[in-house]
Amino acid sequence: MSDEVQVSVRWDATTAIIDLAGDITNLAEKPINQVCRTATEDGAVNIIFNFRQNDYINSAGIAILIGVVTEARKRNQTLMMTGLSSHFQKIFRMVGLTQYVELYPTVEEALTAVNSD
Amino acid sequence: MHPHGRRVVELKIPSELGYEKIAREAVATVARRLNFSQEKIEDIKTAVSEACTNAIRYGSGFDVRMKVVVILTADDDKLDILIKDPGVAGVPPPVDVDIPDIYGMITGRRRLGGMGLYIIKELVDEAGFVQDSDDEGSTQFRMVIYRVGEGE
Repeated sequence: MSDEVQVSVRWDATTAIIDLAGDITNLAEKPINQVCRTATEDGAVNIIFNFRQNDYINSAGIAILIGVVTEARKRNQTLMMTGLSSHFQKIFRMVGLTQYVELYPTVEEALTAVNSD
Repeated sequence: MHPHGRRVVELKIPSELGYEKIAREAVATVARRLNFSQEKIEDIKTAVSEACTNAIRYGSGFDVRMKVVVILTADDDKLDILIKDPGVAGVPPPVDVDIPDIYGMITGRRRLGGMGLYIIKELVDEAGFVQDSDDEGSTQFRMVIYRVGEGE
């Protein structure tokens, strides 16, 4: 059963906006880690994960995101997440991930926060 | 479905990650017929996904020749979900799990993961491993979601 996540990157100055479409499960580990590495090498100071059409995020997917938070903290990058459904916002709060990641409804609002710092 | 009584849906999925999505869609359909709210349906879908993933990962050791059985029992007042796996991992862990130590994971003191049972416990009314003397060796995980406060 193929459920690979679709990952693409766009830029706003030094902010890498990573669009994620599809399931965030253990299968997403390689593409997510790879895109983060590439964005960092390309000079990302801030990273926005923009979730699109993500009907399914499981605990293995959350663990991958925690790994991303770990790497971002090591590199002093600001990590933000946008586009999460209210259900997944609840799950992220439940496990404590929102203590380490800022959530915004849209990419535009996250960029506004970045640019106001 | 109310007040026609009990309805049972049973499905078997291969022990391969990805197939838990079938159980997830099936339980959403049953929960919809019980008039659970959309928010509660999302909770139930996530709980079933996590429980099936555990059954595939630990209960069947990713052996696709094995099956995970999902039994959905819809009553007038509740949805009862039983997930059975071959139990290759032996005795299941206690369900009384703590809040995930995210800080420990981020700082490398704890391994990433181990959140599934905690999420399940938070999303459903009852959750736990059950014994079945007729089905020796298998592991069974039961979840119950009551319709209290849900739409009629």
